[in-house]
Amino acid sequence: MNRLLTTFTALAVALAASLASAATPEDVENSFFPYRNWTPEFPGLQPGTVVNQSNVEQFKDVVDFMMYDHIKQGWYEIKVGETTSFDLHPNYVQATRDHLNKTTLGEKVGEINNFVAGRPFPEEPDINDPQAGLKIAWNYKYGYNWGDNAAIAPFYWKFRDLESGKIERTIKFNFHFLNFMHRVNQAPLPSVEPNPGQLFRGIYVIANEPFDIKNTQLLIHRYENDLKRDDAWLYLGFQRRVRRLPAGQITDSFLGSDLMIEDFEGYNGRISDMNWTFKGTQNVLLPFYNHNDMPLSDDHPEKDGYKFIDFGNQGGCFAQVTWQLRKAHVLESDPVDPNHPISKRVHYIDAQTYTIPRTLIYDRKGDFWKSWFICQAHPDHHLAKNKGTGVSIDDCFTMIDMQAKHCTTGQFKGQLDPEMNPQRLFRVQNMRTTGR
Amino acid sequence: MAIIKTNAIRRCVPATVVALVLLTAQADGVQAQEWEDWDVAGFAEAVNHWRDSDGPDGLVKQRNTLQIEWSRSRGPGLSVSGVLRGSYDSVYDFNDDEFGSGAGGSVTIENAGGTEIFGPERVPWGQSIINSPLPGLPGGGGFGFNLNQNPNEGLILLGDDLNTGTGGNFLPGFGGVQLAYPAQPCDDDKRGCIGSYLNKDEGDLKFPEFNDKLDFIRELYVDYEHAFESGRAFNLRVGRQQVIWGRTDLFRVLDVVNPVDYSRHNIYDELEDIRIPMGILNAEYRMGGVGAFDDLNFQGIWNFEPFRPNDLGQGGQPYSILQAGNFFRAFNNCWDNGCTVANFAPAPDGSPALLATDFGPNQIGIRDADVPDDWGDTAIGGRIEGVFKGVGFSLNALSYRAQLPTLSGRNIESDNPFTAEVESQDYPYLIAFDIKFPRLFMMGGSADFYVDPIKSAFRVEVTHTQDEEFANTLDPDLFSESDVMRWVLGWDRPTFIPFLNKTRSFLFSAQVFGQHILDHEKESGPIGPRGMPDFENNYIATLLINGFYKADRIQPRIITAYDTGAKAGVISPQFDWLLTDHWRLIAQGNFKWGEDDQQFDDNRTANPFPPFTCPPPSPGCDFNSPSLGLGGYEPLGRFQQGPIGMAQEENEYQLTIRYQF
Repeated sequence: MNRLLTTFTALAVALAASLASAATPEDVENSFFPYRNWTPEFPGLQPGTVVNQSNVEQFKDVVDFMMYDHIKQGWYEIKVGETTSFDLHPNYVQATRDHLNKTTLGEKVGEINNFVAGRPFPEEPDINDPQAGLKIAWNYKYGYNWGDNAAIAPFYWKFRDLESGKIERTIKFNFHFLNFMHRVNQAPLPSVEPNPGQLFRGIYVIANEPFDIKNTQLLIHRYENDLKRDDAWLYLGFQRRVRRLPAGQITDSFLGSDLMIEDFEGYNGRISDMNWTFKGTQNVLLPFYNHNDMPLSDDHPEKDGYKFIDFGNQGGCFAQVTWQLRKAHVLESDPVDPNHPISKRVHYIDAQTYTIPRTLIYDRKGDFWKSWFICQAHPDHHLAKNKGTGVSIDDCFTMIDMQAKHCTTGQFKGQLDPEMNPQRLFRVQNMRTTGR
Repeated sequence: MAIIKTNAIRRCVPATVVALVLLTAQADGVQAQEWEDWDVAGFAEAVNHWRDSDGPDGLVKQRNTLQIEWSRSRGPGLSVSGVLRGSYDSVYDFNDDEFGSGAGGSVTIENAGGTEIFGPERVPWGQSIINSPLPGLPGGGGFGFNLNQNPNEGLILLGDDLNTGTGGNFLPGFGGVQLAYPAQPCDDDKRGCIGSYLNKDEGDLKFPEFNDKLDFIRELYVDYEHAFESGRAFNLRVGRQQVIWGRTDLFRVLDVVNPVDYSRHNIYDELEDIRIPMGILNAEYRMGGVGAFDDLNFQGIWNFEPFRPNDLGQGGQPYSILQAGNFFRAFNNCWDNGCTVANFAPAPDGSPALLATDFGPNQIGIRDADVPDDWGDTAIGGRIEGVFKGVGFSLNALSYRAQLPTLSGRNIESDNPFTAEVESQDYPYLIAFDIKFPRLFMMGGSADFYVDPIKSAFRVEVTHTQDEEFANTLDPDLFSESDVMRWVLGWDRPTFIPFLNKTRSFLFSAQVFGQHILDHEKESGPIGPRGMPDFENNYIATLLINGFYKADRIQPRIITAYDTGAKAGVISPQFDWLLTDHWRLIAQGNFKWGEDDQQFDDNRTANPFPPFTCPPPSPGCDFNSPSLGLGGYEPLGRFQQGPIGMAQEENEYQLTIRYQF
């Protein structure tokens, strides 16, 4: 009798928990269109406001502490723009509706059940849900970041001295992304076949300049099984050989920059590599804007007239873009591996797009280390070919190493063009063929 | 030389036709495609090496290079690429007393008799006591050579920088053999310059790319890719190119498609810079994921350009791997013009002494180099490459001509120095050779994988090569064939050393290379070991530690290698400073160490001319018989000394300044 009672009780608790966490169609609408009937506000802050050294105290609650510090030191001024909706592609939203509440977390961190496509957990994260952080992480992993595939070509990285502003190095890359699974928009749907390794995503990078790293290529294979470690290969142009990349190099400086491969896109690792903690939702200033409305750089002219985001202020480390007051989920991740070079990251996840425009990084001792921005541009105000793609386009970045007083900036030409990302680009052999 | 040119042109015809067909077909197929802008990059650099040595030293390299790399694409499927390189090495002007027209001098040769009867302890070149006419020999014998044709000028003693004395530990007091090589460029001194092999004049040495092989066109090829709807692709690359197989650094286990130029900087330059690009038709069918394979590709290659061996560096060049070029030149001079060899002939009175000996032309030495140049000499190979369950792998096969020379004593028509006759016949066990490049068949494979618990990536290569030829003093032809297994295991791990760098790891990369000669032949002779001088099993280990500072613009690194058989090692500390995106400075040292006890049977005690060369005690003096095993450092000790040990006295300081664009 007692055993029967216990069983019923357990079932009742599970059912209650299930009902409590079940997302509704309204949750989906709120998740994807938070600004349809609402605009975040903060006293004194409106489009056109410039947050600078003189008034940053007033706006301390809408910037993170390091951003506050940057402004307080006079390193940067935030020009506030109008908060606008970055609607993701309708197919992605519809996939979320179609598969609502079908996805569940697995027993282990890194396991997920029944995910098909769209945003797996569109409900508003609950601070009392111990797994809320993990769900946000999954929403990010299966987000519509760069859509089904994309290229950043070209992609300029500049290594700068934060204090003198001297540009020490300029690297010209091409980056390519391809989702092998859970595709919602571009053929083939829903998966690229054949895919015997059950890859979820491929990232392919080639350096074109300067000469000493020309033809250096990076290929990352991320598996659908999050518990399986990524495979990564590096083609060294000066050796003309493909080298398998030890995992340690994923968390080391990438080609001398202030970024590690794991920093790409905000976080470029496995869910299971981190412990995830949801710290709450807040309205913060984030670098979202219309690219074509920004003062653009005359550096690196492109044949089609495209111009890159400009950089300036302290050390030339800060993007000359406008920022929007937006709803963001604060997510903390700390590495499972005790030998990881960082102790934690604090991510500000944009609640609408689930991109990561802002991250604070702490070193192994727990001291603040790096300040990480990724600008987001609206696809309808960018290259003509990007219009209507429903992708929040990564458009510029800054990684500031506060300890080394050094930064790396990135200027993107993001192109949502499937022709630029054929499947064969994401094979090891392609590196050998592409390299000389 | 004219034949080579003709053949080169003849063989370039099909490649040119294929390239033109590709260009034309592509042009017809995609009228709308236009040529994209030129992609041009390159560098100009000055490389300076200073050597501290008992041999030729001082400035040994002052090479000024301009390299331009370019490509141009038309649409996604067609591109033309090339690399042009030209260099001028001023060492032949600035240090010509050591490496140019003033190199070398007169030499004296060890004469272990060392008594008044048999001459002084050292005799001048061409003036030994073993010089015809010799009483007791038919017609006075045929020893000696014409000093007017082969004067005691421009010579350097072989291995003199390496060892004190000539060795001879197997029979103390007898010393080893020693030769002298002409050291000047071949237009200044033609002695020892072997036909089409290792025959460079001063201009060739100063301007190594500007030759009849058109080496300034380092690479020039057309790429064509046809992408199928299925995602598969066919790729064809035709033209002069490098085809790189394998996954290891420094060692050439699978990476044997292209020959290499060791004359540039021995084994110490990046293979990328010293591979000799060849005209190759390189076809790939890339299937991508198929069946259980994450990636699967098939490659076929045909090296249609006339065969080229590795450039070992000719006698007198600053870099000559194993000092083989010096030895070849010395020995070719022996054949062509005669030579004085140290401690060779037994004292005529039977006393325990070996005397310097003047051999005449066509008696001992290297007669010729048989450099293959025929359609049948081209290389054909294939590779299956892919990824299986996360493990990268390849299976390789190549039929090709050996790029390293072998010395074949087969069918060498020589003259007996103990007679005045001109016999011109083949004498078993006689140290008279042709340089050969035998056909080989290599099969092998490679793999790389990651081991998470130790955060390390591993690389493996294994090959089996059939019918390689090795020196063998037990064989009447003084060489024999053997299959060879070679393997390399590589390990890479980024590792933090917090007290040296808190934020950036150091790269540790180690490799162990092994070689096993399957049909190895060696035995203890009456005096010392005889047979194959190469070790049956030998191992070389390398370690690279690379640090990164200032956004990787400053990279200190240490590369070290140790040859267990040679008991010799090298350590190269480097400081690589990228001053700007354009300027780069590399300062490095190259310091070696080793023991000088690598000696082997030199075949003095063989019996090629019975009964004259019947070694005591001498049962069966009427028959040819192999060496008794008396040896020294030269010439076969070099095969045990290895490329590190043979250069162990060549410590260098090096400075490179590069402008890249």
